[in-house]
Amino acid sequence: MKDEKYILKWLNGEIPDEELSLLKQDKSFKNLEKIAHYSSQIETPKVDIEKALKEFGLKKTTVKKSKVISFNYKSVYKYAAAVIVLLVSSYFLFFNNSASFSTQYAETKTFNLPDNSEVILNANSNISFNKKKWEDNRNLQLDGEAYFKVKKGKSFTVNTSLGKVTVLGTQFNVKKRKNFFEVKTFEGLVSVQYKNTLVKLAKGKVFKVINDTIQGVTTFNINDKYWLQNESNFKSIPLKFVIDDLQNQYDYTVSTKNINLDQLYTGGFTHTDINIALQAITIPLQLSYTIEGKNITIYKNDK
Amino acid sequence: MTKKSLCNEEDFNEFYRSNIQFVTNFSSYKSNDKDTALDLIQEAFLRMWEKCSEISYEKAKSYLFTSVNNLFLNKLKHEKVVLNYAKNSPYIDINNQSPEYLLEEEEFKDKLKNAIENLTEAEREVFLLNRIDGKKYREIAELLNISQKAVEKRMSSALKKLRTKIELL
Repeated sequence: MKDEKYILKWLNGEIPDEELSLLKQDKSFKNLEKIAHYSSQIETPKVDIEKALKEFGLKKTTVKKSKVISFNYKSVYKYAAAVIVLLVSSYFLFFNNSASFSTQYAETKTFNLPDNSEVILNANSNISFNKKKWEDNRNLQLDGEAYFKVKKGKSFTVNTSLGKVTVLGTQFNVKKRKNFFEVKTFEGLVSVQYKNTLVKLAKGKVFKVINDTIQGVTTFNINDKYWLQNESNFKSIPLKFVIDDLQNQYDYTVSTKNINLDQLYTGGFTHTDINIALQAITIPLQLSYTIEGKNITIYKNDK
Repeated sequence: MTKKSLCNEEDFNEFYRSNIQFVTNFSSYKSNDKDTALDLIQEAFLRMWEKCSEISYEKAKSYLFTSVNNLFLNKLKHEKVVLNYAKNSPYIDINNQSPEYLLEEEEFKDKLKNAIENLTEAEREVFLLNRIDGKKYREIAELLNISQKAVEKRMSSALKKLRTKIELL
């Protein structure tokens, strides 16, 4: 358009009158006028000047810091998040080698550790260990009761919240229940650490701690592998722990009425029949019991 | 009369007050990302405050626009700019109230808005600095650090695009 020069001058507010009248003769000038008029009515974001100045004043006082933060901080967060996700997922993929086995009520489990040592896990128990480090460090956590047949090799350690058992190669049983800790050696020599006490336990010996009190070392019959043969056996054990064990072997809740739970019990019960098991416990102690659904009540014999 | 200096807090605040709205307008021609824009504008002022002794008061405005422009280059989202008309803006013929006329004008405004949104950033900022902020080409050239010829070129290419778009539709 040949009027372009005039139009530019006009928009710049510098057009002489005679040129403007020339421009106005053009038919399309009407549209041009509209463009000029309406484009100047476009809205711009209103700034609260004093507020902005106040915020600026705050920024001024923390010059060094604000400079760094405002530099692309959004993308820095993005990358940081990506890196964290990567690290966490690779940690779980490559470094988390913990393994664990657990049993429910009335369940036992037999399994091999990475060095082919054998573990038989009694009911309601849990074992966890690190697969990767097993070669160098035969170390596991036990909560509950388990029988170990340990292959000869480096030291083998069973940690429980009550005590620690270390061996080289042997067969032994560790029982850790609430307030009850017992180690039986079936073969070889076992070292048991309970708090500051260290005991060497030879074949056929048993070490017991009940309610934080060390009961000393006594003997037991090594052919009597009780729970492995679906039986629990006790020798002078408070009734309380016998009942706890019964609840572990059978999925029943036991309550008692007017009974001395600290009286000692010697004997055993089977894991296969609840009635026979209850009779084995109650008859020698002159007690009676009733079963209602999943609840058992044990009470004193009426004379 | 003593010479004004950016290192004097009062002078600096005066400079800030008289330019913050203008530079915010300018940023709105380039991007819709208002929050980031305000952050970047504040940062531009901040750099000037830090370097106050190196910048003369006369050149301050040009310096401000240059640094805002530079800061914007990579950090703002370059989405399509969306514009709106101010509410209650008058029609070109304020005496004509016939519904046909009003409808016609609304349609025109809509087309124009779309056309401006579709200009290149360089065309749009020059065109709107002239139309909304009423800046002369010489001033725009100074602010953007380009020649007046370049401003005029952008202006006329913007106009050309707007006219073809409007007459076509």
